[in-house]
Amino acid sequence: MSQRTRIGAVTRVLFILLAAGIAISLITGPAGIRAPGRILIDLRMPRVLLAIVAGASLAISGCVLQAVLRNPLATPYTLGISAGAGVTAGVLILSGAVIPVFLVYLAGAAGALAAGCLTWFIAGRSRRDPSGLILAGVTVNLLGASFLLLIEYMSPASRLVEIVRWMMGDLAVAGYGRVLFLLPFFAAGITAAFMRTGTLNQFLSGTEMAESRGVNTLRERFILLLAAARLAGGTVGAVGPVGFIGLIVPHAVRRLAGGDYRRLLPLSALGGAVLLVWSDVVSRLVVSPAELPIGVLLSLLGGPFFLYLLLRRNEAD
Amino acid sequence: MTVPPGCVTAVIGPNGSGKSTLLKGIMGFPGTVSSPGAFLGSRPLGSIGRRERAALVGYLPQSPPVPHGLTGLETVLLGRHPHRDPWAADSPSDRAAAMDALELVGAGKLAGKQVDRISGGEFRLVNRAGGLVQETPVILLDEPTSSLDYGHAADLWEILSRLAAGGRTIVATTHRIGMAGGSIQQVLLLSEGSPAGFGSPDEILAREDLMAEVYGTGIAVVRNPAGKGWVVCPRERG
Repeated sequence: MSQRTRIGAVTRVLFILLAAGIAISLITGPAGIRAPGRILIDLRMPRVLLAIVAGASLAISGCVLQAVLRNPLATPYTLGISAGAGVTAGVLILSGAVIPVFLVYLAGAAGALAAGCLTWFIAGRSRRDPSGLILAGVTVNLLGASFLLLIEYMSPASRLVEIVRWMMGDLAVAGYGRVLFLLPFFAAGITAAFMRTGTLNQFLSGTEMAESRGVNTLRERFILLLAAARLAGGTVGAVGPVGFIGLIVPHAVRRLAGGDYRRLLPLSALGGAVLLVWSDVVSRLVVSPAELPIGVLLSLLGGPFFLYLLLRRNEAD
Repeated sequence: MTVPPGCVTAVIGPNGSGKSTLLKGIMGFPGTVSSPGAFLGSRPLGSIGRRERAALVGYLPQSPPVPHGLTGLETVLLGRHPHRDPWAADSPSDRAAAMDALELVGAGKLAGKQVDRISGGEFRLVNRAGGLVQETPVILLDEPTSSLDYGHAADLWEILSRLAAGGRTIVATTHRIGMAGGSIQQVLLLSEGSPAGFGSPDEILAREDLMAEVYGTGIAVVRNPAGKGWVVCPRERG
């Protein structure tokens, strides 16, 4: 099968899976297939839209970071984004402040972006090369995790449950508030990334080659990391720190359709939407009428996927 | 040192003498000491914008990272980046130029293969084709023949020679000066970061005292018995 045929087939399969996932998601729920129109419009439709936008955002974010950091294991959380969001959301929950829900999302997103900026700042000492950025990200992650542990220790039991539940991710929505909150982050991040698909390809050949072909690597790295942080930060704010999509999807798409970012990025967006829509469907079906937190389900997928990558790497070596 | 158009200049010297650093300094890479004295014609290289410079001066490093997931043709097409928008698709002329470059370096059969599944030497050939397709008047190459077999190394010097004959300016560092045959017109000999000699191959390579001083006494430089140029041989000790 030629590459062009394979890419066409992968695109068609992803669209079919997405359409099927949307259809099943719309008829799945405690009220069943005959749910009233209000449930369909106010609960199920925004939920599936949120899954599409969040899944696409996380997949694009992971895809971008794997090129810029030249590391196949880079995820949106490599920059400390998850830990940053956890700290701000944890502080907010611990404070018990009664504030508009929009501000809770915003606090999560702000924490995620602040952690990303802190990573960039710390990596300044190492000229912000890929390994320096990864080490700085690991440091910020550890700092954030320590703070979160402290917050959890200081929390009364009821708030502790709330924090833990938030960390597991949640797609259950009423109305379109969360989708509308996420859209500006999505639009800004995806525009910046899609306008630089050729630059992302250049990063695959390393900093020197990219520089010699006219790429201002420091500036472009910052713009692309900011785009990835915006996509992941907005998503974490809206649905909590849902992991592994940014790792699993770009890897799978790269294997099926090759590594050229001009097709890897849009196909990863599609793949991320498919994975989160279907994960949401499964999370609602396996313990129906209750729900399995989406983060738990994706972690169950992500662990074996890491193992698969490790074994494949060993085979290649 | 002046490198005129249509000339191939070889930069030689022992390990650590500054050959790669010289090329990186000319390119002004982040983290290297940029060379304020590098000019392209009358224009200081540092004053030329990145994109314009990329269309004027090409650079091929010694061991570039393998772009995982790309085919040979896609890897070569990366060289067209300075000539198009960062999101643009490959035009038919880009693809034709990339295929021609692959054929020129003898790697046409690698066009459809993923570069992370070919040998190191084959990847070098693909990478050289990427340098050619950038179509710059000046090309800097860091050890272009390392990991190439004798046949491909001789072919590469011939290609560089032909490019120079077409008006391009070539500067290449090398440890295998003998493989260049008669392709080079100038030699820069470096020692501990400073020029120890600059001139024609006959002026530099024939000076056995100078070569022995820079490299140590274990070598001898003799005329190529099978053609043009000079060959470096180990000198029998004891």
